[in-house]
Amino acid sequence: MHKILIVEDDEKLRDELEKFLNNNGYKAESIKKFDNTIHDILKINPDLILLDINLPGADGEFICKEIRKQSNMAIIMVTSRDNELDELISLNYGADHYITKPFNIQILLAKINSLLRRANMSIENSNRIDAKDFTLDMSKNTMEKNNKSIELTKNEFRILKYFVENREKIVSREDIIECLWDSESFIDDNTLTVNITRLRNKLEELGLKELLQTKRGQGYILLKKG
Amino acid sequence: MKFKDFIKEKLIGIFLVIFALATIEIFLMAYPYGNFIKIYIPLTILVVYFIGLMIEYTSKKNFYANLSNTLNNLDEKYLVTEIINTPNFIEGKILKSSLEQIDKSMLEHVNKYKYLQEDYKEYIELWIHEIKIPIAASKMVIENNKNEATKSIDEELNKVEDYIEQALFYARSNTVEKDYYIKASNLKDIINESIKKNKSILIQNKMLINLHDLDRIVHTDSKWIIFILNQIIQNSVKYRKQDNNSGIEIYSKQGKENVILYIKDNGIGIKKGEITRAFEKGFTGTNGRLQNKKSTGIGLYLCKKLCDKLGIAIELSSIQNEGTELRLVFPKNSYINLK
Repeated sequence: MHKILIVEDDEKLRDELEKFLNNNGYKAESIKKFDNTIHDILKINPDLILLDINLPGADGEFICKEIRKQSNMAIIMVTSRDNELDELISLNYGADHYITKPFNIQILLAKINSLLRRANMSIENSNRIDAKDFTLDMSKNTMEKNNKSIELTKNEFRILKYFVENREKIVSREDIIECLWDSESFIDDNTLTVNITRLRNKLEELGLKELLQTKRGQGYILLKKG
Repeated sequence: MKFKDFIKEKLIGIFLVIFALATIEIFLMAYPYGNFIKIYIPLTILVVYFIGLMIEYTSKKNFYANLSNTLNNLDEKYLVTEIINTPNFIEGKILKSSLEQIDKSMLEHVNKYKYLQEDYKEYIELWIHEIKIPIAASKMVIENNKNEATKSIDEELNKVEDYIEQALFYARSNTVEKDYYIKASNLKDIINESIKKNKSILIQNKMLINLHDLDRIVHTDSKWIIFILNQIIQNSVKYRKQDNNSGIEIYSKQGKENVILYIKDNGIGIKKGEITRAFEKGFTGTNGRLQNKKSTGIGLYLCKKLCDKLGIAIELSSIQNEGTELRLVFPKNSYINLK
């Protein structure tokens, strides 16, 4: 499990973020005293840190620069300073991403995922998502079962991935559209209907037709077979 | 300063001289002087007097003509005292030194307010950084406790965020200093960012999004442009038609000296007579008075102001009941045209 360290001085935000990340499959920790922040971060040695800029003691940009000298951990700056200059400074000091408060948590999560995936490319083969009844291959945009592989369009793949991430939960059409919009595919209601129909047909080809069910007035649900 | 006007002012003096000469003439007539003397004395006095007047006229004319010329050519008229020469006559000297003193005290006065405004802007910026933290915390709480009620609070928080951002840019738009940072950015990234930012209202209102021809580089501050686009997009949603075909089309064209970004909607449009006033502060128009629109007349006004600062032209055209089109014209080398 990946370790994420939250370096943030607002107590409530820190606790809620920690809770959220722990619920989403990460091991989140946070720093509560800021007298020796750089030392503490290096000692904990997480895979990724979420770093605020306005901190008591050393500021985030300085911490970022110092950590980069000694470590390769992923750094995401999370700050309320919303201007181009601060963003450039942070990126120049070696931060991987710059996110402004209040942030869209799904986008933050997506950035964390992609950073950690890239960092661990060689160790794990995390291009594949095991969805029990079938497997998703993120590098080829395909869905596989028993050596049979079906190619999906980008949007179909994203929708299916979203279903897998929210397995056995009802997802509304708005949720799906929002998820697609987050990855810059600004589809409308009709296009979604078309995509869902095509996805159903493709699932049928693998003999998994009954997996994706419509909940009238609420949305869809992806079930587990066995 | 015309010669005629100058003479008019000197009229009393001239009459007095002529009167004096007349008395001298009467006095001379009582004595048996020759005609030569009778003509020579008054003529000499008159000629000398007029030479004196001419000298005075030329030096005054030079000074005042120079003053009004310089004034006409100056953008910042209060700097005129720094440019004109000190005149050689007493009224001119008094005028110049008075102007200098007035300028100085005015500048001090203006600086005081400039400082106050700067100070207030700094406070607003600080306040905005501060307020974003509890908002971010509230959003995290909502994320960890998702239900219908928190979702609704989340939507309201988004509105709060928009208002806060408007306040920030309003404060920025009023200062002389440069708050922006110009760099090359891809229009596509800017547009994607602003659509994503407004996704909840766009999806809720079933707006169709049509983006094309956006892969172009512009030199600007993308954060400012995203704010401007937010205002425009939010207007498109606010003033959409109540049917299911509402949408926004965004595309760009490469001009010879510029890149033009088009943001087009198929909403209710703006009345013909009100288009020119759309950028005015506080102007809400017929549309703004429609029910539930909550128009403040700030959005487009602020867009225009920020565009002016960035050196971008913003244009609007609209046909009532058909839609509105906004165009942002980015000069090719906008860093040259910065104010």
